[in-house]
Amino acid sequence: MNKQKRYLGTNIPLKIYVLSEKSVTITFGTEIDNDLLDLITDFNQLLLQNPFPGLITTVPAYTTLTVFYNPLNVILSDLPGEVCLEKVSAHLNKIAEINRKESEVMDDHLVIPVCYGGDFGYDLLTVARHNNLCESEVIDMHTAGYYTVFMIGFVPGFAYMGGMDNRLSTPRREVPAAKIPAGSVGIAGNQTGIYPLETPGGWQIIGRTPLKMFDVNRAQPSLLKGGDRVSFKAIDQDEFNTYMGV
Amino acid sequence: MKISIIKPGLLSTVQDMGRYRYLSQAVPVSGAMDELAHRIANKAVGNNDNDATIEFTYANASFKAETPILISYSGDGAFLIHDDELMPAEKPLFFSAGSVIRLINNPVGVRTYLAVAGGWDVPDVMESKSTYLTAGFGGFKGRELQKADVLVSRTILNEVSNKILNQLIERSLTYPNWRISRERLLPEKRQKIRVVLANEICWFDATSILSFLTSNYIIDLRSNRMGYHLAGKPLVKKVKKELLSTAVTPGTIQVTGSGDLVILMADCQTTGGYPRIAHVAAVDLPLCAQLKPGDMIQFSEISRDEAEELYLEREHDLSLITMAISLKYI
Repeated sequence: MNKQKRYLGTNIPLKIYVLSEKSVTITFGTEIDNDLLDLITDFNQLLLQNPFPGLITTVPAYTTLTVFYNPLNVILSDLPGEVCLEKVSAHLNKIAEINRKESEVMDDHLVIPVCYGGDFGYDLLTVARHNNLCESEVIDMHTAGYYTVFMIGFVPGFAYMGGMDNRLSTPRREVPAAKIPAGSVGIAGNQTGIYPLETPGGWQIIGRTPLKMFDVNRAQPSLLKGGDRVSFKAIDQDEFNTYMGV
Repeated sequence: MKISIIKPGLLSTVQDMGRYRYLSQAVPVSGAMDELAHRIANKAVGNNDNDATIEFTYANASFKAETPILISYSGDGAFLIHDDELMPAEKPLFFSAGSVIRLINNPVGVRTYLAVAGGWDVPDVMESKSTYLTAGFGGFKGRELQKADVLVSRTILNEVSNKILNQLIERSLTYPNWRISRERLLPEKRQKIRVVLANEICWFDATSILSFLTSNYIIDLRSNRMGYHLAGKPLVKKVKKELLSTAVTPGTIQVTGSGDLVILMADCQTTGGYPRIAHVAAVDLPLCAQLKPGDMIQFSEISRDEAEELYLEREHDLSLITMAISLKYI
């Protein structure tokens, strides 16, 4: 975990649209970009530390942050405005002002052990062939990367991670697999991700982590959250079994 | 209070008003599809709105009271029958131990909510009692109800529930003369779904937007707690843009790559990458929850502020119902 000081924000009012009677979305940009993601992560943390009456939760995504609230609490609050959109926007723009000053944000960095290839990474050869590499080169390049969690989506705890070496880029499978085992590490286009639960899926599977990516019994059930930094380390079957307590 | 499931029916799960605090970890909201019926069933036995109910899908289910029970039901998927007698919805119902209650088909809708005084006692998972089947957590052991499952209520009743119970026992009644009127809260034309146009509306050509707001759509067979696919005239995007995945929520209407509409429902994913043409007004989401394959709907546009106004009015009306019931007993 490292502490970073960042300077953020612009003087432009936030772009906010209504998603439902209970939520609004702030659009911070249009392209996937690490700086933008840092901005969203910082803004999110500032908002959660300085909530408005009725704030329930937030959902960060690639270029947006969605804010969920209880409309009754918002309407009864003394935030300026007549309707929820105005009242919530007023607060969010105030947060953006804090953002213009210096803010201290904690970055979480996690190392995730992965047993590559074999039965666990049955698409490793596909990824290697698609990119004219051998399997060990794919593993080396995948473990050399420093990744950013762009978003948790799809199913509980599924992290979409960017920052992968472009030379590993592989399209999704044409026909999605009916069952992908929990812990499977996959590649889709320029992103890498880990299946937290056994679900259908279309990503190319290159290995498996013994870590529980989603566990309802943890205070934070999802191991990863938006904005986290991640790297992978190769482990063999024995180490995998040790992790699993086999 | 305790019941055992004799026949679980097509899909029966324990639900409350949803799991909102873990959306950022991609944990869906879940909860009762028809939140209005869920809340009214709870109110009728003096519960809090968020207490857990059983969501039945269609009918063909039955259960037995293992102890004396104070229950109520609301929704459009089934009627409750006891001793071949139709039991009225949206009021408290008292049954002695050994009573068998059956659900028979109500052709109007799909889902029916069974509340028990005190609420069904299942553990909280991530601050909610709702079942999320895909990941197998929440509700009753993370799964749908099966034959022989035994469900119990929380033992401590609040004052209103206690007084309702005592009154019915003292007067040897199955139910009191009052009931909550859910119809009064719902619009008359239930096939007309009010919507607010969404952020990507300008991605579609004018003809498509017009057709969205004027033509008929039929609920497709591919419809479940995650969402409903609609059959109708496909919409045409006028821009080549793709949407980067962003948060979606129950009520969001997405347009798929082939131009088809999907209304997202309680168990929907937390993020989606399809452009959104509109969202269903929160007050009309309960109507959607009762739609079944083959039903025909039309969308009608209202403004964002109108949708909010309707929502606040609905909440006000619901709070008056709670107050009226309390005043009756306390």
